[in-house]
Amino acid sequence: MEHSMSLLNFIDIGLSGAIMLILVGFVGGMVSGFIGSGGAFVLTPAMMTLGAPGIVAVASNSCHKFPKAIVGVVKRHKYGQVDVKLGLVMATFAEAGVLFGKHVMTGVRNSFGAVGTDLYVSAIFILTMAIVGGFMLKDYRKLKAMGDEAQKAQEITKLARWVQSVRIPGTMFYSRGAQAEISFLFVIPLGFFTGFLSSAIAVGGLAGVPGMIYVLGVPAIMASATEMIIAVATGLGATFLYGLEGAVDIRLAMLILLGSLFGIQIGAIGTTYVKDYQIKFTMAVIMLTVLFSRFFYIPGYLVSVGVMEPLPEATARLLKWVGDGVLYLALVLGAYTVLSALFKGMKEHRERQSVIARETAD
Amino acid sequence: MASSQAAVVKTLIWGGIATTLFGFLFYYADEFVRLAQTTGDSCMVQEGKKTVYYSNATPELCTAKGGTFAEGSWWFVLAPIAMAFALSYAHGLFTGLFWDTLGLKPRK
Repeated sequence: MEHSMSLLNFIDIGLSGAIMLILVGFVGGMVSGFIGSGGAFVLTPAMMTLGAPGIVAVASNSCHKFPKAIVGVVKRHKYGQVDVKLGLVMATFAEAGVLFGKHVMTGVRNSFGAVGTDLYVSAIFILTMAIVGGFMLKDYRKLKAMGDEAQKAQEITKLARWVQSVRIPGTMFYSRGAQAEISFLFVIPLGFFTGFLSSAIAVGGLAGVPGMIYVLGVPAIMASATEMIIAVATGLGATFLYGLEGAVDIRLAMLILLGSLFGIQIGAIGTTYVKDYQIKFTMAVIMLTVLFSRFFYIPGYLVSVGVMEPLPEATARLLKWVGDGVLYLALVLGAYTVLSALFKGMKEHRERQSVIARETAD
Repeated sequence: MASSQAAVVKTLIWGGIATTLFGFLFYYADEFVRLAQTTGDSCMVQEGKKTVYYSNATPELCTAKGGTFAEGSWWFVLAPIAMAFALSYAHGLFTGLFWDTLGLKPRK
């Protein structure tokens, strides 16, 4: 392959850009804290919307993600939601996935330039979110239709039951989350794919969380908390590897972090007030909206890599405008879903406490 | 009362540390950008008042582009990582204390 240099632009950040990044980070943080570390699926496209090339958005998002995940995992460990052993096993294999994913990304950049990574990141995004978002929505409907008792007694998936029943000597370890012994051989593909997605779109949680739920039989709240251990490892790995390529924009990462650390704690506290199905609903709604926003950018990227004839200027502007609009709608929806779940949960909790207090007094 | 005052003071101290770190990062923002983009072999090209960086550079390609070649120093990658660690620690502590002070707590 012919060797070629590629221009890697870091965006200019003025005051309005900085405020925008902090706000985007705040919403992304709330969603992250609420559903695990997957809130970055709002942040990567948001950075790209603000003008960062795909590879810079992924690299900078990884850099903001790993320290945030440390804060998140410490918090949620206190709530007893983290399966440390499973997290460490998954993280080990996820690092291999990060290496592979970074190799693919730099290959795309070397062949098609930074705009090639825009297209690559968007394509993986749309594909991943369509699958995971659709799956989550289906699951949410099923869970909501059940009563509280039915949910408690809800059995794990057939696949997870089978995985938990397989005994392969020398490969078994006990998972506190799944409350069963699992062979680490099943964890290898899950971890690898989580790591690959981490380095492709900076959102490994989209594979890791559902993987732990449906394949290993870990409850949703524990899966999202455990995924944060993996996010620490993959985020640090991706930051280092992409940093060597000169793609980590620390200004971008830290402005997002400024907002998201305020948000993540609201999200994490919110999880203690809500049911599993509400988390699934949040995930599905935001995911599908962000996915929808990405479609409007694809024609522009295709033109830039020379696959499509240039669009009339007015059409190109309109497409970007609609894409930006839908993305901002996703951010508002995310903030609304988390905050309304939190306030509703806190109100119900207060009411229950006051009833208990009255009954005790009587 | 005394303990709540102590919590406010602690919150303010960590808030001050986080603000100082953010100030440091943005005061030296151009330097951080230069470090990031010269971690790998790069080519600096002056475009008007702005310097743009090409990655994946070789001295020959850079000369052809009319730029200055810079051999990468891998350890520059430690700058953003160290900054991310320091800021997330200080800012993470600050935001935790901030919400606690405001009374937003998890359900027991």
